[in-house]
Amino acid sequence: MTQTRNLIDENGKRTDGRTIDEMRPVKITVGTVKNADGSAFVEFGKNKIVAAVYGPREVHPKHLAQPDRCVLRCRYHMSPFSTDTRKNPAPSRREVEISKVMRESLEPALMLEDYPRAAIDVFVEVLQSDGGSRCAGITAAAVALADAGINMRDIVSACAAGKVDDKIVLDINDTEDKEGGADMPVAYMPRLNQVTLMQLDGNLSPDQFNECLDKAIEGCKAVAEIQKAALMQKYFGNETEVKEEQ
Amino acid sequence: MQEIRRRYVLPGDKIVEGNYRPLMNVVKSGNAIIATRIGIAETGREGVKVIPLSGIYIPRVNDLVLGKIVDHTSLSWEVDINSCFSAHLPAQDVFGRDFSPARDDMNKHLAIGDMITARIMAFDRTRDPMLTVQDRDLGKIPKGELLKISATRVPRLIGKRGSMIQTIEQATQTRVLIGQNGIVVVTGRNPEGILQAVKAIRMVEEEAHTANLTQRIKALLNVPDNPQDAQPSNDASKPQDEQIEAADDVEELEVENEK
Repeated sequence: MTQTRNLIDENGKRTDGRTIDEMRPVKITVGTVKNADGSAFVEFGKNKIVAAVYGPREVHPKHLAQPDRCVLRCRYHMSPFSTDTRKNPAPSRREVEISKVMRESLEPALMLEDYPRAAIDVFVEVLQSDGGSRCAGITAAAVALADAGINMRDIVSACAAGKVDDKIVLDINDTEDKEGGADMPVAYMPRLNQVTLMQLDGNLSPDQFNECLDKAIEGCKAVAEIQKAALMQKYFGNETEVKEEQ
Repeated sequence: MQEIRRRYVLPGDKIVEGNYRPLMNVVKSGNAIIATRIGIAETGREGVKVIPLSGIYIPRVNDLVLGKIVDHTSLSWEVDINSCFSAHLPAQDVFGRDFSPARDDMNKHLAIGDMITARIMAFDRTRDPMLTVQDRDLGKIPKGELLKISATRVPRLIGKRGSMIQTIEQATQTRVLIGQNGIVVVTGRNPEGILQAVKAIRMVEEEAHTANLTQRIKALLNVPDNPQDAQPSNDASKPQDEQIEAADDVEELEVENEK
């Protein structure tokens, strides 16, 4: 990756005016898809992503069913209008890969053994993309799964970090992803303190790697708080304490 | 008796630490009890459980469910019970032990598309649930207005000892049949009453987790707070066995859970 221009200016500001430790604003709305069992809409900066969860439901085709646990099926898809130039709606190599890593990052949090012979379908649709859409997709899918009432050990939250102008920065955007030095998306379960997804493109020294991972995990923790606040808002409104009936 | 402590939880939230028994929708992690669903956590003498606010219906033995006949083989009907498992009603259950596929016409009894009230006879997640209609008030539902609500709202719709559903029934002059799987059938002579009851049931579904819901339902249906003044035209001796039975089921099951 060759860098063509400075992505961090003399004031330490990035291309979109953020500091190196600043995340893009994240907004989560729960229950946006009426027909789904659980759903969420996430705005992660300029990313706009809808996630819908259906199930647990019967598995079709039946031979995919597992006798001892539930099958989790994920589909990550980018709408043709989500990018600068039209994207072919057919699933690309990249989308197939992201669907897979998304499934693998959500599976550790779900108690799939509670629903044997069933399937949970997760659909993640990117309406507008600006780098880090897989992280935003995982974040949305985790909220949608919680909304669907599927037993979970923990909420999965995701955030990326990376290297831009030889500095480790939090939450890479599209320009930084394309022109920067490295991109590391991380999915993380905050209570269990476990990483469920870690990918990296670009080169990092061992020190940079550790710094980058720590920064991404800090980002994940911040995202988790927003996820929890969104779920609380949907289910309990502004109440935090249980009011006794009668 | 020790006070039951309640609070709102999300998946992954620590409910309590210490030597408590995990009951429902919780998982033990070290010394802590963790919620696995969105809901209201209850910490009591028996243990810790979460009453979920979302999710599909998972069958339990002895649940009263309403279902739709979707298919039949020569030996059993397949029933959609609004769950990820489809239920089976054996033909022997209806025709008796001397049932013969050659002699008895299953379609005459229950055709595809019929709604039935049934009880879950057996279920353990390794096989599909088995139903029975061999009990009082079970079997085909001839008519009524069909509604689907979330199965997690059913206990709220029934209320403590059937209080909520009795309020709705008496105020709207209808009968409301509730399955534990979230399927509800409203019947009555007066279409206006049925519409009112449907509206009230929808309101219970939307606002199930909020306090003072019974009061708001009473306000919606114009029921005075004092029960003596309520709808003098209503026949007090009207049988309400089905619903109260359903309500009792909930309580029984909750007691079972606590054991």
